[in-house]
Amino acid sequence: MKKIKTYAIFLVTILVFIMNGCVEEIDLETLTFERVLVVEAVITNELKYQEISLSRTFKFEDGGAAPEANANVIIVDNFQNSYNFTEILPGKYVSSEEFQAQPNAEYQLIINTNDGKTYNSKTTQLTQVTPLTDVYAERTTDSFNNDGMAVYVDSYDPTGNSKYYRYEYEETYKIVAPYWVLNDFVILSYSPPFRYTLKPKTSEQLTCYNTSFSKEIIQKETNDLAEDRVTKFRVRFIPQTNPIISHRYSILVKQYVQSIDAFTYYKTLNKLSLSDNVFSQNQPGFFASNISSVTDSNEKVLGFFEVSSVNSKRIFFNYYDFYEGEPLPPYFVECTFGAPFLGSFPGDTFLPPMYQLIDEGKVKYYRPNPNYPNPQNEVEGKYLVVPIECGDCTKLGTNIKPDFWE
Amino acid sequence: MRKLLLILFFLSFHVLNAQDSNEKISISFTNSKTIDVIQKTEAVSTYRFYFVASWLDTDKVFSGTYVDAPINRILSDLFGDTVINYYIAADNRIVLSQNSIIYDALPIDFFGEEKKDIVDEETKPVLYNSDVTRKTSGVETIRIGKESKNSKEKKYTLTGKVKNVVTNEPIPNLVLTIPDKNINEVTDIDGNYSIDLPVGVNNIEFKSLGIENLKKRIIIYSDGTYNFELAENLELLDEVIIDADKDKNVKEAATGITQIQIKDIKTIPLVLGERDILKVATTLPGISTAGEGSTGFNVRGGKTDQNLMLLDNAVIYNPTHFFGIFSALNPYTTGDLDIYKGSIPAQYGGRLSSVFNISTKSGNKKSFKGEGAIGPVTSNLTLDIPIVKDKSSLIMGGRATYSDWILKALDDENLQNSQASFYDAIIKYDHQINENNHLETSGYYSKDVFSVSSDSLYDYSNMLMSIKWDHDFNEKHKSSLIFAHTRYDFNIKYDGVSNTDFDLGYKIQETEIKFRMKYTLNEKHDFDYGISSKLYNNEPGNIQPKGSESIVEPLNIPKERALESALFISDNFNISEKLLLDLGLRYSFYAFLGETTQNIYAEGLPKSDGTLINTKDYGKNEVAKTYGGPEIRASARYAFTPSFSFKASYNHNYQFIHTLSNNTTASPTDTWKLSDLNIKPQQADQFSVGFYKNFDGNLYELNVEGYYKISNNILDYKVGAELLLNQSIETEVLQGDGKAYGIEFLIKKTKGRLNGWLGYTYSRSLLKLDSEFNEEIVNNGDYFPSNYDKPHDLSIVANYKLTKRYSFSANFIYQTGRPVTYPIGNYVLNGSEYVFYSNRNEFRIPDYYRLDIGVNIEGNHKIKKLAHSFWNISIYNVLGRNNPYSVFFVTENGEIKAYQSSIFSVPIPTITYNFKF
Repeated sequence: MKKIKTYAIFLVTILVFIMNGCVEEIDLETLTFERVLVVEAVITNELKYQEISLSRTFKFEDGGAAPEANANVIIVDNFQNSYNFTEILPGKYVSSEEFQAQPNAEYQLIINTNDGKTYNSKTTQLTQVTPLTDVYAERTTDSFNNDGMAVYVDSYDPTGNSKYYRYEYEETYKIVAPYWVLNDFVILSYSPPFRYTLKPKTSEQLTCYNTSFSKEIIQKETNDLAEDRVTKFRVRFIPQTNPIISHRYSILVKQYVQSIDAFTYYKTLNKLSLSDNVFSQNQPGFFASNISSVTDSNEKVLGFFEVSSVNSKRIFFNYYDFYEGEPLPPYFVECTFGAPFLGSFPGDTFLPPMYQLIDEGKVKYYRPNPNYPNPQNEVEGKYLVVPIECGDCTKLGTNIKPDFWE
Repeated sequence: MRKLLLILFFLSFHVLNAQDSNEKISISFTNSKTIDVIQKTEAVSTYRFYFVASWLDTDKVFSGTYVDAPINRILSDLFGDTVINYYIAADNRIVLSQNSIIYDALPIDFFGEEKKDIVDEETKPVLYNSDVTRKTSGVETIRIGKESKNSKEKKYTLTGKVKNVVTNEPIPNLVLTIPDKNINEVTDIDGNYSIDLPVGVNNIEFKSLGIENLKKRIIIYSDGTYNFELAENLELLDEVIIDADKDKNVKEAATGITQIQIKDIKTIPLVLGERDILKVATTLPGISTAGEGSTGFNVRGGKTDQNLMLLDNAVIYNPTHFFGIFSALNPYTTGDLDIYKGSIPAQYGGRLSSVFNISTKSGNKKSFKGEGAIGPVTSNLTLDIPIVKDKSSLIMGGRATYSDWILKALDDENLQNSQASFYDAIIKYDHQINENNHLETSGYYSKDVFSVSSDSLYDYSNMLMSIKWDHDFNEKHKSSLIFAHTRYDFNIKYDGVSNTDFDLGYKIQETEIKFRMKYTLNEKHDFDYGISSKLYNNEPGNIQPKGSESIVEPLNIPKERALESALFISDNFNISEKLLLDLGLRYSFYAFLGETTQNIYAEGLPKSDGTLINTKDYGKNEVAKTYGGPEIRASARYAFTPSFSFKASYNHNYQFIHTLSNNTTASPTDTWKLSDLNIKPQQADQFSVGFYKNFDGNLYELNVEGYYKISNNILDYKVGAELLLNQSIETEVLQGDGKAYGIEFLIKKTKGRLNGWLGYTYSRSLLKLDSEFNEEIVNNGDYFPSNYDKPHDLSIVANYKLTKRYSFSANFIYQTGRPVTYPIGNYVLNGSEYVFYSNRNEFRIPDYYRLDIGVNIEGNHKIKKLAHSFWNISIYNVLGRNNPYSVFFVTENGEIKAYQSSIFSVPIPTITYNFKF
């Protein structure tokens, strides 16, 4: 029997091996490099200061996007309106006045860069305006059978013109520091004789909020469905082990209705950025956007000029609404206790370990050490400490309650 | 004279001794008489001596001590310095003879009369008898006549009869050949032969289908007669076939022909225990794959869909299992694989790059036989069943994985949800109706099921059947009528959490009828002509909602039908001994048939939803579009010497069917598309020339061949094209020009303890996608390397037979890395980083190299045992080279990560047990 088992394990190893192949991360090096203009321009039907970002491609070894500064950005429509954009941060351009995209108008983006080149977009119309019918959360499992919370959307366009949807979300969650105590360890003297005191915290460190934004491209098309209806489309899945759902969680889902061109552009972009599996890959390559160089038609331009209708909805839920009586997800960091040595030996001029850790902001005071004094370990300190995130939530978010929080 | 004969006599001793039994003797003698030594030896061994006592020298005494000594050592010590000679027969009889007496008694007509009876060894000194003649597996020496001082003849004639030792029937058509002197004779219908031999030593070999290969050394001094009795040997069938074709490479007019026989690959190292004839094909020049784990072959810079893969005359669409890691051909039933990559015979058409003609063995018509293998991934069983003895037989082969239930039985959830299994089965019936009629029919089925994630399940299958009826009108006029049907399909079942579950299916079928005639006009002309017609039924895809809650709208892309017909004729024209022409012409005619609706796009604009101006409906069987034209298939051979030739060929081909795949490499879920109003057929012209030289009686083969190929309307795709379930595929594809050229070297050692080959190819394969519209231009409309362009390709395959039981093999493969489209920078869009890609295929992945080794251990050779067996131990990728299969880039949490994937990055050892009964 043991033999059979060994054999089975061997077989499985082989199969897993074949199926997953061997995928390993490798270091990238830029072989050749082209500084190509990247345009991020989504104009919506919301009345607001519209934003456009310009940057350049960068090498892998370089840190981040190089903003394209000092460009002249303008949007014109077929009613002879033009909207000027001013640069508020390097590469970030904001319309000089508030405006919203109107149905039936045709918009064109014109960019004059600092190096004297001109880029035009194709003219684009606002897409069908379709409201989100519903956003809701359910406890479920993902395709790998992980337990967690899923956020779904429903939408319906009776005109059948929307068809192409892209979603973004903004999630905000409440953080409660698990080892928050009333008092802080406050250093009174940084030189011998070292002195400290325990006194109440002066700021809110128990409850905080943090917000993050979706980064992936989430799309849905209803072209292949009988009606233009999005039903229970999952925009977000949060495994039960993710601490962001520990207390109260809120998600704002934004639905953009896209044109087929914009949808295809994002879809291709997404397709090329995901790995399917070892055995099938897409043909990668450069794909044309609706922005091109007037000066040199062979020049590559990245990014898409989009005029989209947008609609959004926010929902809230609590962990115990779905996980009543079940343990909380693990905290963001592991909260292990420490008892750093508090005292110092005569003649020492450097800060004792406890002082040093507090001073560097690595730990928070928790409570007196019940084992103190410890005859076996003379350097065990008088107080227990925890990693700072466990005692001070502001390290993970803001202590200011967002306006929309309810 | 006497001395000379004596020397010859002694020379032959070694040979005769070669067949000694292995019995070892421990014995010692002190001043014993010869007769005592013999008696003592008989007492401790199974050897029995036959001699006349008076020959023995009674005065001579002998001493010696032997421990585990072979009998011949004792005998050579004992008789070494005497006039006594000894002969050890196979059944441990030792026949002594007195040298001088034999010499004196060897009469001119000693072999003159047929000796059927065993000579009475008790009374007569006997050197040879017919028993010995047929049992000797080493080389036996036969002397004819006696050298006479008066003889001035340079050649003498040896005549006689060859009989089957078992049935005592004459053996006709047996080839008697003296390879080093280029003398060949064939026995007539009654088994009689007459062969002229130069005076002295001649090494004669006997060859015929089903007869054991035998070698004899004949020393001839006058005309004489000698009768041979040979045994049947069915197991050596393969070897005999090979020898018949061994100078095919030099003699035929066609260029770019490769033949692989399953026997050649028995010892080649295996991956996961599977013997794979197609994998062996890729070690030959001009044939490659995109990488490990990719289905399909690239032949001479052609796409993977450009190969006509025939299994017993029926097209097999996907001859691989498990993403191309295993071949779908049963190694135990597969006979030969003929690959045409240069000159494609006029009888084949419809694919641009090559023909892979795979034939299944015929079953054994005499006795029931079986063969099997147990490997780590699959097990395999083949049965040979005679139906009517000597007339008809059946061969059946089956193979299946047993991975699935193990995966299911495991605790790990991810593995439980995984699935990977396959099986295939083949059956072939062979019936020799009479002398002029022969019928063959085959059926084949293969299926793969696998899942990559828990919510989707993929499966695909091949189904083939074919019937071939050969009829000979007369000696000169022969015909074959072939009917073949093929089906290939795949399905994807998706069962996720939302209400978009579906069932997606694809299916293609083709049915072909072909009538082919062979007409031998005279010695100079051999005609091959016929007609073929093939009906395609392509179901490009349908999707059905799965479950009542699914809101997936059922969609059925309308069926496509087309008829591809051809007339072909070719003449193998033997102008002179030196010049041979093979002139072929094929006329292909293709009709895309209704019922169909074709999209019509505005002229002078790129095809897209926006430029669609009209659609046109065609009724059932109405011809919507036709294509076609003549295809010239010409080749010529000029022989400088019988073993050295030059060849040149020109080929034109049409292809009306295309794969749709936006993966870099072929995958089992690629669909096929028939040429229609908007998609034109592919065409190619190939020129090739080559030199072919065989050395040392075909022991070494050297081939050098160059080619230049241009092709038109090769299908490629826009970036990220959506090909499945697309009703207007033409808006996603691009058709461009291809250009490929290369030079191929192959040196092969065909026989001997060390055999194998070395192949090297330098080649390029380029594509050009140009258009007047920006969105249809790739790489500025310049030629760029195709996905499978691998300029340097070196393969070495070597086998070494250490003993009868142990043989070693190794292969080494080196290839230039495949081209890839490499990211040349990053950019940020909506807070996420993305990769900015280079021009298509501007860079290459690192070079590929791999060494595999294997050991074959044959079971013992006891005659009485249930099954003959052998073990194969292989290590794939011994060097553990982490060969990158691809390099790809993923945006994870807004950051770019580069990954390289490899299929087998560590040495993979496998052990397989094979048995035959």
